[in-house]
Amino acid sequence: MYALFIKQFLRSKAVILSFILTLIMGIISILIGQQFLSRQENIIRQVTAHQREHIERNVAAHDEMGLLLYYLRFSLISQPDKIAALSIGQRDVNPSIQSVTIRTLEGQRYDTDLNNPSNLQSGNLDLGFVILYLFPLLIIAFTFNLLSEEQEAGTWRLIAVQAKSAQTYLLRKVSVRTIALYILLAVLFLIAILGLSLPVNEALLAFAIASVLYLAFWFAFCFWVITFKRSSSFNVLTLLSAWVVFTILLPAAVNNFVANLYPVPESLATMVEQRDGYHEKWDKDKGDTMEKFYAHYPQFKTYGVPEQTFSWLWYYAMQQMGDDESLQHSRAMRDKIMQREQVSRSIAMVMPTMHTQLLFNDVARTSLSDYVQLLDSTQTFHERMRLHFYPKIFDNAVVKDEDWKRFTPEYITERKSVNWLAMLLPLIITVAILCILSGSNMRRIKSV
Amino acid sequence: MKTTVSFLIARQFCKNAFRSGALYAIMIVMMVMIGFAAYSGWKIYTSQNATRQHYQQEARESWENNPDKHPHRMAHFGSFAFRLKHPLSMFDFGLESFTGNAVYLEAHRQNSVNFSEASFSTGLLRFGEISMAMLLQVVLPLIVFFLGFASISAERENGTLKVMLTQGVAWKDILVGKSMGIFSLAMFMVVPVIVITLFLLLLTDQTSFTTDSLLRYAGIVIAYLVFTLVLCFITVLISTVSTSSKNALMTLLAVWLFMIVLLPKTTQALGNYFYPSLSKIEFDTAVELDVLKEGDSHNPDDPHYKNLRDSVLQVYKVDSVQQLPFNYSGFVMREGERISAEIYQRHLEELVYTYKKQNSINKITAWINPYAAVRNISMALSGTDFESYVAFQQEAERYRYQLAQTMNELQMKFISNEKLGPNDKPYTISHEHWKEIPDFRPQHLSIDTALGNELSSMLSLVFWTVLSIALIIRLSKKAKAI
Repeated sequence: MYALFIKQFLRSKAVILSFILTLIMGIISILIGQQFLSRQENIIRQVTAHQREHIERNVAAHDEMGLLLYYLRFSLISQPDKIAALSIGQRDVNPSIQSVTIRTLEGQRYDTDLNNPSNLQSGNLDLGFVILYLFPLLIIAFTFNLLSEEQEAGTWRLIAVQAKSAQTYLLRKVSVRTIALYILLAVLFLIAILGLSLPVNEALLAFAIASVLYLAFWFAFCFWVITFKRSSSFNVLTLLSAWVVFTILLPAAVNNFVANLYPVPESLATMVEQRDGYHEKWDKDKGDTMEKFYAHYPQFKTYGVPEQTFSWLWYYAMQQMGDDESLQHSRAMRDKIMQREQVSRSIAMVMPTMHTQLLFNDVARTSLSDYVQLLDSTQTFHERMRLHFYPKIFDNAVVKDEDWKRFTPEYITERKSVNWLAMLLPLIITVAILCILSGSNMRRIKSV
Repeated sequence: MKTTVSFLIARQFCKNAFRSGALYAIMIVMMVMIGFAAYSGWKIYTSQNATRQHYQQEARESWENNPDKHPHRMAHFGSFAFRLKHPLSMFDFGLESFTGNAVYLEAHRQNSVNFSEASFSTGLLRFGEISMAMLLQVVLPLIVFFLGFASISAERENGTLKVMLTQGVAWKDILVGKSMGIFSLAMFMVVPVIVITLFLLLLTDQTSFTTDSLLRYAGIVIAYLVFTLVLCFITVLISTVSTSSKNALMTLLAVWLFMIVLLPKTTQALGNYFYPSLSKIEFDTAVELDVLKEGDSHNPDDPHYKNLRDSVLQVYKVDSVQQLPFNYSGFVMREGERISAEIYQRHLEELVYTYKKQNSINKITAWINPYAAVRNISMALSGTDFESYVAFQQEAERYRYQLAQTMNELQMKFISNEKLGPNDKPYTISHEHWKEIPDFRPQHLSIDTALGNELSSMLSLVFWTVLSIALIIRLSKKAKAI
């Protein structure tokens, strides 16, 4: 029986063609992921080389610690995992590297990469996209007429009479298609693992399981729709409309909604305040600035208030004020961003397309929160650099005494572990509900 | 008499469509979506522009309130350029969410344009955004296909087609009539968008409602009407040549997928793949290297600046820079700014050229994909396309350059050449000068520039119209009744 089902399924040229098309799109997407990874690796190499060369050149050119640190940039790298190639997420929009001087941080850490906005808008054609958008289309194409074509050809009556169980017959037909698509998925994962030399780890497993469940959602949904025993045309219209609603309209509407609910004017406030906070100090009383600086860093109090018109101590105290005075808005901006993330996540729970997309990004560490993590780490990193160099600048330490070779780019090492339950439960529940619904439809199915 | 026959057919088609409940369901959903898109567009436009204008003004006040100081301090104090949205961005978001909105303008440095909406967005942004334009570009074709896939094939299946033809109705009338029928149903979606957009335009303040924006609006209306017409013709054509309604539907859905989902995404990805662009670090390093090659203005022994000094001293017939009639370090900075800005500009132009090459594959597909054509025209006219963004970036850089050079010139003119001791008060000039610098006022591209950039898209839309009409005429001579 099964052999016949498989034969019947694979006999159609359209089926073979769509398989090949999806396979090709999948391979293209893996190539695009590979290009993304190699570009990132290339950039990291360049940043590392550039930092060494940049420090060497400036150390040779300046013998004053304060002036030298005006120029020196130190990089912090959030290296994408290999699996990021499968779901590039927000890593195209947001930078993965921060290069900062120890001056006002707020004026530096939001600097973006150079990007073609058209590419950003079009989005990455990564494997995540192929799984989220194209596989459901295949599922729709393979299942929409499973029952209706038999009805339309008049063969369903025969089956209902002759087969031991019409339900089993239908389930077997579906399972052939399910297995075929899961094989295609497995092939793509295999190509990705070999082509990108992906480590087989918890993240990859989570990615794969999420994909399997996501496709199960579509199978269950399509199956539920076809068990209403409507015509082929009705089914394909309904399923494709559902596809448009689930993968385009609803998520896009949620995105609009969240963006409108939480606008981020604080970003612009921070931008203006960090400038004014620092620059206005040039015209203000030196003593006041120093007092504020020492309130922030009491450990430096012994340096007192410099008498000269210009001193690096005062200069860096002024720069510090750029950060201190924009702190409130900078924090508010971070809160807003996190609110957006949380609200999106909560809404996504009930919609497998959105949930899976966010989940892919989480597992691949390419989500908005990973960018926020980079921003946070940059702050810690910047603060560490500041506290290292402040006393050396204030003492006007000898530049040559510092071991400059050890200032190579640093990496973010912190890793989130996979929260399996929160990740998979929403998908499992949705699939279960759809299975129950189809089950109850199935009971009525035998009657013609 | 023929037009009346087509008219009758069209009217009958609409009547039939209204008999089914599906049409009402589709229309209600669409109205809700259009309403939501209009609200989103309006809200984003008003709140974003208000925020940006607010901070542009706040930054300006703080600029003007600076006390007397050294002009070079003011050059570093700098200014900001906030990008203002075009009123028509309410209709078509285009690239708006993916382009930076604010840039800090200071001497010696070209900062990145930051805070794009995308940088604050979650992974959901990948699914796109709902704008009225998006509904017309993506959802309208699907609805047109839904409404019209059976327009001819069902008549054939029912046998009514044969009856009509034997009664003397011409094929041409049937094809045109059906197309007009679908078109009028589509207008139930297109007209509300057109009306709402005009209404929203009128609601914006009078300064942004100009002849230019009215012309842009008219262009948008024409482009979408033509696009819808082409869609209707395609639907009827496919319905006619398909062997059954089911096949017609399948073909049309495949066309939709290919036209709207697969092709644009793939071509953009391929463009990016074939024409890799420089990363920021590569770009900055290249600019830095070229600037260093020209000379380092901070290095007193640099040959370029040494030569410059010697020649200046010779021209003014003096032995030291202190004797010059203008401030020499202001002069050197002006020279340095000029050189670095020119080098930056050269590299930026190269980069933009690479981006354009990346976009070119997608642009060319307008000839095989009317969706791409209408999308490009719509973005250009709504001031939300790639060119509009590049124009903003250029404008901001021009302003930055002029600001820096004006400050350098003020320094040359008013600051003494005498070096100050470590405890002397720094030289200053009057704060009256700050107000003399005009504020940054972004301008949108004019409509002819916008249209000029999309000439090929417009031609391809014309081509599609001509092609589909030609096919209808050809088919009306060759089509079969059974």
